[in-house]
Amino acid sequence: MAQQAATEGRQVRRPRARVRSWSAWSDRHFKWLLVTPAVILILALTVYPLVYSVWVAFVNFDFQIPGHDFVGLRNFEHVVEDPIAVLSLLTTALLSVSSVALEFLLGLGLAMAMTKTFAGRGGIMLVLIIPLFVSPVVVGQIWSLILQKPYGPFDYLVGALFGPTEVSWLTGNPWKFISLIAADVWQWTPFMFVILLAGLTSISPELYEAAELDGVSRRQIFWNITLPQIAPLILIAVTFRLLDAVKLFDIIFIMTGGGPGTSTYTTSFYLYQTGFQNFHLGQATAGSWLFLILTAVLIMFLVRRMLRPEPA
Amino acid sequence: MASRTRRRSRRKGALAFDNLVRILYLALFLAFLLGPLYWTVITSIKPVDDYMTIPPVWFPEHPTLVHYTAAMFTYRGLAGLTNSAVVAAAATVLSVILGTLMGYSFARFNTGGQHLSFWVLSQRFLPPVAVVLPVFLLYRNLGLNDTRFGLILIYTVASLPLSAWMMFAYFRQMPAELEEAALVDGHSRWGALWRVALPLALPGIIAAAVFAFIFCWTEFFFALILTSRSAFTLPTVFRGFLGFQASSYGEASALAIVSLVPSILLGMLVQRHLVRGLTLGAVRG
Repeated sequence: MAQQAATEGRQVRRPRARVRSWSAWSDRHFKWLLVTPAVILILALTVYPLVYSVWVAFVNFDFQIPGHDFVGLRNFEHVVEDPIAVLSLLTTALLSVSSVALEFLLGLGLAMAMTKTFAGRGGIMLVLIIPLFVSPVVVGQIWSLILQKPYGPFDYLVGALFGPTEVSWLTGNPWKFISLIAADVWQWTPFMFVILLAGLTSISPELYEAAELDGVSRRQIFWNITLPQIAPLILIAVTFRLLDAVKLFDIIFIMTGGGPGTSTYTTSFYLYQTGFQNFHLGQATAGSWLFLILTAVLIMFLVRRMLRPEPA
Repeated sequence: MASRTRRRSRRKGALAFDNLVRILYLALFLAFLLGPLYWTVITSIKPVDDYMTIPPVWFPEHPTLVHYTAAMFTYRGLAGLTNSAVVAAAATVLSVILGTLMGYSFARFNTGGQHLSFWVLSQRFLPPVAVVLPVFLLYRNLGLNDTRFGLILIYTVASLPLSAWMMFAYFRQMPAELEEAALVDGHSRWGALWRVALPLALPGIIAAAVFAFIFCWTEFFFALILTSRSAFTLPTVFRGFLGFQASSYGEASALAIVSLVPSILLGMLVQRHLVRGLTLGAVRG
């Protein structure tokens, strides 16, 4: 009888003990359990593909040629020796540097114009951030409509102001590049503006008051107070934009299709064409590894420096 | 004395000039920003006869909605819209759940040190073109190409750095005392997270969710490659307008409006969190 009671007690106790030990275990490894699902997903969908693509880059992987024979560095040679690839890299550099520079200057101007409060500032603020929420594809579509000939409004306005032109805004040289930059600037100037404005509004007004009392000129105030104060934010804003700008693809796809010919290929667009239109997957993968290494250098250099975690 | 008043009046003059420049600059920029949007709205409601004229019609006499129905049904915009909504919503939920847990772990326990958190962050800057090809091959083997589920997975991963880092920043500026009190009261760590930290972090979670949603809603590249006839999203519908543009200005504009209105409205809702969202929490704003 007593024994029966004891076994009953044990039977009751055992599952509870297991629950308790499980919860103790999960509490002990709590911090790792929290990050595990996210890490697994990243491993499965970014790290595994990247590792797999190392193999793809060194074999024949072409939908037109059967078999996956080891080809050594041939895929890489194909990319490096491809004049279109080299040109696309130059185009990427040209487009991203000039758009980001313009976005920075225009955005800084906007931020300075919006620092002080005035009637209607909130409303203008809401309008200024609109482009940030528009799909780049839609931006490309909108600008194609604006710039197309002969019925687009831009061509008409230019014609009305300066007389009729023979320029094709989306295919002519250098207008096609300017058009692409215009679309990018339209979309991303607000990005610079928003971040720089956060910097400008956080500068203590006492600094300006003191400078004004000392009779410091406005230009000196800008160079010696404003700029150094927002320098960290400038670094962040430019870094984010630059790292995104080098991936430029969407507006190319919609506005020029890389053309005429291959003249507006960016690196992303080149790799897309090589891999998914011409099906030279090995070559495209080798190329994307080279591109990845180039951007990784940029990431290491800029991101590490920029995102020192704030003190808690 | 005289020189001081002169200097003051010169300053006043400079200020008035400043204001003039400021207003002019803002006005010009707003025109640059709103002009294209205005043109898109107008084109979307113009009758066909109105959009192939010189000079252009700046406002149609007989506005029409036919392009909206054509974009929705002839160009399969509605199917794209549905796919976009489902994929973006599901990916947002997943990404925010995983990101919140991860951000909490980073903020409270410094899990994995700087290395893990920077590794997650660096995913944000990875060029999609470097990842998409093997993912495409992987999906082909798993039968995930052109499925909503496949797209949901890749969008979850792609928006994870955003939601994890936004939540990391949010939890970091939230005091830990209440959670510690809950532990003292006998709650497990899960209990402290679920009953105390999460409700307090709700505003941050909502902001992260909106940013993740906007990312998924506007993304083009992955959708272009990983979907084709059935799981295609709204942005990829614009492929249909390439080449034969002149006949479909209205439809393209209508579709553009359909795509941009929801994300703009959502974005304006989280304007307060904008700086944090754009910089993944690196700037508090």
